[in-house]
Amino acid sequence: MAHVRVEEVTASSDWGGGTLPYRVGHRKLGMWLFIMSDSLTFAALLIGYSYVRVGSDNWPTPFPFYPSIIFSTVMTLALLSSSLTMVFAVSASKRGDKKAARKWLIGTIIGGLTFLVLHLYEWDHLLLDGMRPWENPWGDPMFGATFFSITGLHMFHVFTGILYLALVAIRINKFTDEDVEVSGLYWHFVDLVWMFVFPLIYLLSVDFKPH
Amino acid sequence: MAKSKENEIILLNAVLAALSGVALLVAVWTVATDRFRSGVDMLFLVMVCLMLAGLFAINPLLWAFEKGFIRNPFDKTARAEVAGEHAHAHGGSDAQNILIWVALLVLTAVEVFLAYIHLNLTLMLIILMGLSIIKAALIMAYFMHLKFERMSLVLTIVPTLVVLLCLFVILFPDSFRMLNLRG
Repeated sequence: MAHVRVEEVTASSDWGGGTLPYRVGHRKLGMWLFIMSDSLTFAALLIGYSYVRVGSDNWPTPFPFYPSIIFSTVMTLALLSSSLTMVFAVSASKRGDKKAARKWLIGTIIGGLTFLVLHLYEWDHLLLDGMRPWENPWGDPMFGATFFSITGLHMFHVFTGILYLALVAIRINKFTDEDVEVSGLYWHFVDLVWMFVFPLIYLLSVDFKPH
Repeated sequence: MAKSKENEIILLNAVLAALSGVALLVAVWTVATDRFRSGVDMLFLVMVCLMLAGLFAINPLLWAFEKGFIRNPFDKTARAEVAGEHAHAHGGSDAQNILIWVALLVLTAVEVFLAYIHLNLTLMLIILMGLSIIKAALIMAYFMHLKFERMSLVLTIVPTLVVLLCLFVILFPDSFRMLNLRG
């Protein structure tokens, strides 16, 4: 490497133009940049939640282990499994097996839909309990505001992800394998965010009092 | 490469290494003189200094790897890529992906178990965050293929995110004071 001639170094320089410095296409790079900015949005919300929680003296912890925590654990399982099927969809489309890729994509969509339906069912339950973004029967009203805004934004991401994957699955013959991989990046990101929402919002809201 | 350009690179790396050293010194000085008697604020100052030290150190270290002054002890592919070789952009095998999925499930089960035994809130928060960061790293490295990407992409994404997240957390000591302010 040290003995390469000057011209060769400048010609093959990563930032000299005409090459892909990151060795990824522009779509994939764009998705990565979007993921970075979006993870900062979620981080801002989660840190804001932690901030008001630490600064509050009657923050409620209303979720009983059974059924609330078990229920959200099942939701986590659905989302994690859909991530695995997404990995298989990406590797199938890399092999050029569009049919298998479509099959795995449909499996991923089913996992996402399961998550969404369970989540909506849970929201319905909490609303029936009298929890609102501005008040709740247990304590600090900010609990509802943070809960609904963070899980709501995440739910919206899952929803758009399902639409995105459905589009890719329908038109899979027109898309390249990089397109499938990019949609996979988005889906894994949604899963990744849940890996922080689930412990912070659910597990830390388990009922600490009765014991 | 022209001689002047080479010198320029050495100068820039020296400046960055010096900045990194200064940040490290401030962190050590703070720990040595204060020993956290002033509470969380000092902890955050130390954290920020260490973060800056790491940030400034990236470029000189990479340069040193490239020149072969330092042997990268653990990452053979990274060295190959700095040397300009083509990355083999294969992902992991199916078995490996299933293994990662199982690992994620096990970590989630551990988290849920902590909630089941109603562990003390602060301790639980620390353990949960640690486990979540491990899970996020697993997802990013294997499911999102970051482990199989080029080093330059990883270095663009990961340190940026870590630094920005740390910057968010700088505001945190205020929230502990909020309770006292309310009286």
